[in-house]
Amino acid sequence: MVLKSSFPEITTFGSLIRFALELENTAVGLYEGSSKTYPDVAALPLLAGVHRKRFQLLEQTRQQKLNEMILEAIHELNRNDYLVETDEVNGSPLHEVLKRAITLEEQSFKFYGDSARLAKSLLAEASRIFQKLAKVNGENVGTLNAIPV
Amino acid sequence: MAKLKVASERVDDRQQLPEVKKHYGVLKNYVNGEWINAESSKLENIENPATAEVIGQVPLSTAHETFKAVESAQEAWLEWRETPPISRSRYFFKLRELMEQHFEDISRIQVQEHGKAIDEARGETRRAIENVEVAAGVTSLMMGYTLEDGAAAGIDEEAIRSPLGVFASISPFNFPAMIPFWFWPYAVACGNTYIIKPSKQVPMTQQYIFELIHEAGFPPGVVNLVNGSHEVADALMDHPLVKGISFVGSTPVAHYVYRKCAENRKRVQAQGGAKNSLVVMPDCVLNRTVANMLSSFYGCTGQRCLAGANLVAVGDIYQELKERFIEGAKRIKVGYGLDETVNMGPLISGDAKRKIEGYIETGVKEGAKLLLDGRNIKVDGYPNGYFIGPTMFDDVTPDMTIAKEEIFGPVVSLIRVKNLDEAIDLIHSSPFGNAASIYTQSGPAAREFRYRVQCGNIGINIGVVAAMAYFPFAGYKDSFFGDLHGQGQDAINFFTDRKVVITRWF
Repeated sequence: MVLKSSFPEITTFGSLIRFALELENTAVGLYEGSSKTYPDVAALPLLAGVHRKRFQLLEQTRQQKLNEMILEAIHELNRNDYLVETDEVNGSPLHEVLKRAITLEEQSFKFYGDSARLAKSLLAEASRIFQKLAKVNGENVGTLNAIPV
Repeated sequence: MAKLKVASERVDDRQQLPEVKKHYGVLKNYVNGEWINAESSKLENIENPATAEVIGQVPLSTAHETFKAVESAQEAWLEWRETPPISRSRYFFKLRELMEQHFEDISRIQVQEHGKAIDEARGETRRAIENVEVAAGVTSLMMGYTLEDGAAAGIDEEAIRSPLGVFASISPFNFPAMIPFWFWPYAVACGNTYIIKPSKQVPMTQQYIFELIHEAGFPPGVVNLVNGSHEVADALMDHPLVKGISFVGSTPVAHYVYRKCAENRKRVQAQGGAKNSLVVMPDCVLNRTVANMLSSFYGCTGQRCLAGANLVAVGDIYQELKERFIEGAKRIKVGYGLDETVNMGPLISGDAKRKIEGYIETGVKEGAKLLLDGRNIKVDGYPNGYFIGPTMFDDVTPDMTIAKEEIFGPVVSLIRVKNLDEAIDLIHSSPFGNAASIYTQSGPAAREFRYRVQCGNIGINIGVVAAMAYFPFAGYKDSFFGDLHGQGQDAINFFTDRKVVITRWF
């Protein structure tokens, strides 16, 4: 299943941020939900906190950086490249939860990497933020892979 | 497999953002630090242009109550001008924080009363805040200058900037949050007091912002809000205690304001209409050019003085430019601006819609070829909204009405020219001189365009040439009457007078 809100027909800097917010929200939900099922896995609530902060950073970025000069159409992104599953994982075995989480982090890594490239000519500050978010996604994959199943 | 529960329901909400309120009641005036009911019993409905529903009522205040507001502002000025600039700037720091905290509400109210897309409204709120941020630097901006021995040996000379008294602004409908902020923060930071008259079509955003101004603690009478129509505007221009007027609107009214203020010996900056050309050279980066131009022509539904109006294709770029532009325009999603996926909202009113439909009809009658027709667009869920979809004419010639007059809607006139000289001649044939843009990778062409074009705002690969708060903003020719522009250092000059002091000590 895809995220409920995908890109509108015309992608703009605003819709990139909006999609990013939904990715972060989905990640928070995944980690919060699974940390209740697996309270002994310390990394899960930590990752929920990481994504919650990223959500706030993106909201702040939208509030402070968005103006009409950068609301132009971006056609280079293909939404099919960033689909993530949003089906509930409560009650699933831990290895399935981790698999889902790794996929989410990898898709986010790809989304932020591509967005950083596209945002570079529109808004360098946002591009840097996207790059940092992608880097953290990569680190999160490492964290998830290190969790013993 | 069961559904993943999202951390917050906000994800779903963000497709259709909630309205701040469904109905805002009868608006009030804010005078001398208090919210007061207007004396006038005349009310006009405020509509949500996406739904045509009444969302509030604005009082049409009288000249008498406007005069009272002026007198209150004058009384407040006597103390405010003696408040040190650093102390005055602190109110703006507080206001800035409040506006950040209420950023989303300010933006959503704009959408509700104006119709623009939510991201456009967010951008507008940001612009308003940036003017507060710049004005908060008044301690540096307002400094005068001194020259030791400037008059003669042992005789020093200095120039001091002083506030003048009460100023006022008369604002249009298209930027309910931002436009008053081009002026009032600078005026007040410089030690003047101020009266804002918002557009009667979009008064709710300023009503909300004035709650924040009140909370920021500005002393009573320093910033005032009087709702109404031309009676309020005329009263502000007539009252001898008002030292200057800042106006934004159509050219005929800007000219009227300019003349009336001059007759009444006031300072005036009156911004008028526009007919902006976007010139596309054969060497442009076409995909980026089209993407940028779409937001210029159709952003804010074409209802901004910096919107593109004439799309000028130079030489053999014409065919490919036309095809790409149409392809992009067809992808624009029209709807209620609080739907986060919408790119373009409705027009401000039924009258505006009918006027623009009239222009489209005129274009057809005069022989232009209608490539995209935005009339009769159906927007799901909003059958009564004042929507017109992206519209585009081809084969437009410079003598046609749609090429000459300000349409103020999402209508593009595609005009073919042979070379840059012809494009510049076309721009200069317009009585307006607000903005013009060129899309090119040629430095010499861009330089020539910048040098020769007689417009107040020039874009090079930029279609919305909106000056940041620390730069001046106004047009040339019939797009502006006055000399000092809005924002930045020009605003400081407009709202202060220079006093020269020559000193010798015996």
